[in-house]
Amino acid sequence: MQIIKLNATDSTNAYLKQLLPDNALEDFAVVVAEEQLKGRGQMGTKWISDSGKNLTFSVLKKGESLRVANQFALNMCTSLAIYEALSALGVPNLSVKWPNDILSANSKICGILIENILLGSKIKTSIIGIGLNVNQTSFYNLPDVSSLRLEMGVTFDLDEVLKLIIAKLRKYLTKEFLSHTAELTSKYEKIMFRIDKPSTFKDKEGNYFMGFIKGVSPSGKLIVMLEDQLLQEYDLKEIQLMY
Amino acid sequence: MDIKEIQNLIKFVAKSGASEVKLEMEDIKITIRTGALGSSSGETTILQQIPMGQPQMGQQPAAAAPTEAAPAKKESEDDKYITIKSPIIGTFYRKPSPDKPSFVEVGDTINQGDVLCVIEAMKLFNDIESEVSGKIVKVLVDDSSPVEFDQPLFLVDPS
Repeated sequence: MQIIKLNATDSTNAYLKQLLPDNALEDFAVVVAEEQLKGRGQMGTKWISDSGKNLTFSVLKKGESLRVANQFALNMCTSLAIYEALSALGVPNLSVKWPNDILSANSKICGILIENILLGSKIKTSIIGIGLNVNQTSFYNLPDVSSLRLEMGVTFDLDEVLKLIIAKLRKYLTKEFLSHTAELTSKYEKIMFRIDKPSTFKDKEGNYFMGFIKGVSPSGKLIVMLEDQLLQEYDLKEIQLMY
Repeated sequence: MDIKEIQNLIKFVAKSGASEVKLEMEDIKITIRTGALGSSSGETTILQQIPMGQPQMGQQPAAAAPTEAAPAKKESEDDKYITIKSPIIGTFYRKPSPDKPSFVEVGDTINQGDVLCVIEAMKLFNDIESEVSGKIVKVLVDDSSPVEFDQPLFLVDPS
């Protein structure tokens, strides 16, 4: 296994990406940093992590010539891999909050940020960034955030957890899972946070409404059943789940 | 909507690089097709029913340039350019992150494999690499705005 360990870097995704052109990196090469100085969430948002207590790493996945229209499969495979790794560690009440946060009960313990490099309509390379809260016990004023240590009461060996997750990524990020979208989707839907439960959402205009999460569309949109059994698909920017 | 506004609208559409725009408001329905980008007849078609005295459509920008007969002229100009289109629905970003400079600017020379922009969808960030080499003639979409599948993003002069 090819692992590049860094004391600190701006972002492991950016570091890995910058190695791509001239370095012969293996499939599933890993860049892991003790400290991410500019960890990212979505465009512009930040991922904050205490130095040395958590796992912040990026994994290189060379193209399975996945069509970009099916890119959400990458999200689902990565979520399933982490879910399965954390289940094996005994983390309680796990679920995946659409599109790709991993929760224990109602608290976020892991975030995923995937970057693809596209050529035409095919995905050439994917860089899968993962931030997992492991041994950090204080999250300042952030609500709804937790760590493995907080949930389980024990301290974890970061390398062991990393190896376990990589093993699961190797299992799921394969043609077998990536290209069988229907099976993959139903596997993903089974572990979705608040699936089939009455939930409150907020739309773009700030209006609240009630609905049931029914699953995800092929492009990764959230399918919500509204009143009168009406099924509606929502983009990430169009809806916020309140919980 | 008066004739002036319609003229402005046509110019705006032609200028935007979109190949087809459909607008439907209360009683008005307009379809504008431009042949501007690489296709067919190059004709601009308008279909509309105007109920008299319909007030409307506040937001037509003042952007329309003083190019009379824009569609026909544009077509011949744009023919030699290659249009780079969006492979997916998502949000178009010209920069790798908000505090960084744009990947490309108008006038830049690009090579095959250069990253032109990022399109984000459902938290997946896609670097769009160029399949052609040439010079960026035009950036057709504003930073951070939504794009549709197949929407033209850049015009590139391959010569």
